[in-house]
Amino acid sequence: MSQSLRPYLQAVRSSLTAALCLSNFASQTAERHNVPEIEARTSPEVLLNPLTIARNENERVLIEPSINSIRVSIKIKQADEIEQILVHKFTRFLTQRAESFFILRRKPIKGYDISFLITNFHTEEMLKHKLVDFIIQFMEEVDKEISEMKLFLNARARFVAESFLTPVCIASTLAESVC
Amino acid sequence: MLLLDYQNVLIQSVLTERFSGAPPVHIDQTVSDFDGVIFHISTLESKTKIMVSIQIRCFQDLVRYGAEQVLSREYGPYVVPPEPGYDFSIVVDLENLPAEKEAREELVNKIALMKRNVMAAPFEQAYQEHYQLREEASKFTSEEAPQGVREGGEVKAIHYREEEAIYVKASHDRVTVIFSTVFREETDRVYGKVFIQEFVDARRRAIQNAPQVLFRNDPPLELQGVPGVRNTGTGEIGYVTFGGWIFLEKQNAEADQPVLFPRHLTPQRMADVISHIQTFRDYFHYHIKASKAYIHTRMRRRTADFLQVLRRARPDSEEKERKTASGRTFKVGV
Amino acid sequence: MANQTPAVVMDNGTGFSKLGFAGNDSPSFVFPTAIATKGPASGAAGSGSGRPAVANKPSFLTGGAGPQGHLSMKRGTEDLDFFIGDEAIAASSGPGYGLHYPIRHGQIENWDHMERFWSNSIFKYLRVEPEDHFFLLTEPPLNPPENRENTAEIFFESFNCAGLYIAVQAVLALAASWTSSKVQDRSLTGTVIDSGDGVTHVIPVAEGYVIGSSIKSIPIAGRDITYFVQSLLRDRGEPDSSLKTAQEIKEEYCYVCPDIVKEFSKYDRDRSKFLKHVVSHPGGRQVTVDVGYERFLAPEIFFNPEIYSSDFLTPLPVVVDGVIQSSPIDVRRGLYKNIVLSGGSTLYKDFGRRLQRDIKHLVDDRIRASELRSGGAKSGGLEVQVITHKRQRHGPWFGGSLLGQTPEFRSYCHTKAEYQEYGPGIVRRFALLGGPGGS
Repeated sequence: MSQSLRPYLQAVRSSLTAALCLSNFASQTAERHNVPEIEARTSPEVLLNPLTIARNENERVLIEPSINSIRVSIKIKQADEIEQILVHKFTRFLTQRAESFFILRRKPIKGYDISFLITNFHTEEMLKHKLVDFIIQFMEEVDKEISEMKLFLNARARFVAESFLTPVCIASTLAESVC
Repeated sequence: MLLLDYQNVLIQSVLTERFSGAPPVHIDQTVSDFDGVIFHISTLESKTKIMVSIQIRCFQDLVRYGAEQVLSREYGPYVVPPEPGYDFSIVVDLENLPAEKEAREELVNKIALMKRNVMAAPFEQAYQEHYQLREEASKFTSEEAPQGVREGGEVKAIHYREEEAIYVKASHDRVTVIFSTVFREETDRVYGKVFIQEFVDARRRAIQNAPQVLFRNDPPLELQGVPGVRNTGTGEIGYVTFGGWIFLEKQNAEADQPVLFPRHLTPQRMADVISHIQTFRDYFHYHIKASKAYIHTRMRRRTADFLQVLRRARPDSEEKERKTASGRTFKVGV
Repeated sequence: MANQTPAVVMDNGTGFSKLGFAGNDSPSFVFPTAIATKGPASGAAGSGSGRPAVANKPSFLTGGAGPQGHLSMKRGTEDLDFFIGDEAIAASSGPGYGLHYPIRHGQIENWDHMERFWSNSIFKYLRVEPEDHFFLLTEPPLNPPENRENTAEIFFESFNCAGLYIAVQAVLALAASWTSSKVQDRSLTGTVIDSGDGVTHVIPVAEGYVIGSSIKSIPIAGRDITYFVQSLLRDRGEPDSSLKTAQEIKEEYCYVCPDIVKEFSKYDRDRSKFLKHVVSHPGGRQVTVDVGYERFLAPEIFFNPEIYSSDFLTPLPVVVDGVIQSSPIDVRRGLYKNIVLSGGSTLYKDFGRRLQRDIKHLVDDRIRASELRSGGAKSGGLEVQVITHKRQRHGPWFGGSLLGQTPEFRSYCHTKAEYQEYGPGIVRRFALLGGPGGS
């Protein structure tokens, strides 16, 4: 693990833990509604200051806290076209299955690849530190997965290219000896 | 499955069954093959006569390059006037089959390879031209060779798909095959680029005697002035060039002095090379798709892993079953 | 280019997959829905195939909380090393390959295997470039919409197919019955009796939509008939009572009789009813097996299940009648009028006739009883018709082929562009193919 990853993740971990301080809060604008304030944005007084933790220009996390919900958005490292496609594919695959990831937002917010929305109801029924663990582990593994997929693609391409070109070579060596 | 078959599996299996002496039955099947090729297998007025027809979009191109000679060489006695709507037809009479089992199998294979044989004509012609040019070129040193010999034969264009074409060109030191490729989808384009890069690098890296492969987004030199070659400049069309595919000794083709040993390909090997190069596009696309499938597999696994991690965040809330002293069970709610 | 290419019709069933092109009268390929992959058969080692055992590194910040899945980079190409269909069965008998059936009870269970199965079906067997073709796939009744979405994800994202239509097998089976001369109006209302190898379903369909709440399945199907024939052969001590022989006898000689008691006496009077079946063993040895009462007894287990099974005792006609009775009252007439057979186990001679007679009896009895109760009111009667047709064996496939060749088929499909615009959720809804307004 590279030197800068550790403090980066540590910073995300502590900021998240601090931000995950949610309480039940009924909507002030609509009666008998209880909505994630960070999404509704109807009462500015319950929104807290958003916070960006950036490792570099390609990798950053945006944490937007509010009284009853926080939104965590992650920008995953994309060095080139291939990684871009792979990240896009993978996040789409995940959001496609958002139903089972209770905290996954179906659409990332602009400028980020994937967003999570954690409400007070989630923190009530799930362990807070484990949720943080999940986000951290997700960040760790997503990078790993993307680079593994990229490596796979390269290896496969090489293998495929070589096996297409090889039969001809073998044949040509034979032809050589015949001639 | 790594390499694609050259022959059509369905035609092969249908004919093998028919030729094995099974009672004749009525057949009427439309079969599709890569690149929009359509076959039609049907029985004529009597059930023992089987007609196989092929429809291929670039048939006019192919005829220009001598497809008919190749076909009549391959299917001579079986050729019949083409069925309406199709480009080429043959009829096999089950009552008039070759007696030996091997000969019958060979006939089946030959028919199953119909698409390959139709497409082979321009390649074969290019080889012939190449041999001729080489003969001529051997009389000169490279500096003083006449224009015609240095430039090589004309470019044969086969528009085998709506947007894609194969170009074959013979010159005195090699036969060049150029595929124009179009990707309609962004993902495929990116994956395709990775794959092509490896094709290009293969010779440098691992396989010494692999043919030279080049890739560029604008039409290569060989295609300049060929009608129908568009230079869109947007980079959506790519050109994959297989050069020197055929000859080992042409590795130093870039060098000034071409190698002039009068070597010829054995006919068998030439046929193999032609079959093989024809499958390039489909092979290429198949593997892009197979990689996508594998990446899906990985993503499914990874998603399952993530879900498991997330599930750990839920405190154990399963209902526990407890027993009373009398042995009755009751549930403890959460 | 996609304008001239025939649509690809794929009917992936639990046991067999039927693949082919629209417009043909029979599928081009019929082979087991099986895939043989490197490694042990399914069920072994929870990690499944393709996932190498790699030493786990403790994860950062989680304090190495237990072993976690670590996918290592593989240079290998294990995922290309597999066989499908008959080749899979052949490969699995050798060493190194494990056999998997990705579809269970009609529904896809293992998407990884299914994706590869499709990939191989398309590229190796059908030999088509999916970008050029439209695809018609089938699904069992009550397939969850998530499965459809997963299927669409594979077909559009992995294969880039030009267009996709997913139809319910029962509806296609109804469409297949249009070839029968008995069908005058091409309606998509009817009861489908789909009897394959493993299970028999009775599925009511109204206007192209399956009435999910009324579907009934019967645990008696082709395999049970084979077992029953086999047990009869064993009881008589025939020289060959293998499953294969039993199956051959079943397929070649069995038929449905109107009345078993009469049929028994007919056999006793006329010895020519008893047949001989010659089994040739590899190696030239030939054994002759007598074929007797099982000719009509075997299919009889649909109508009198008690002769075979001790836990399932409801005859097929009663089940069909029950299914229709539990359907909404306004479609029952249509359901009785159009009972369509589909699947290999409905091919016995006179199967349809016997079924029609038995159901008719049930219906008439009920009408008579209610006439009595109502005191003199007369019923107009109810038409019961069981449709038998030539394409029963691959009914759903044939229905798909029929609909896939219609000129408007393409407009019913969802295209790749639409998929990209709306996402996989688009396949939850398909316009009804061949429904009102169709051909």
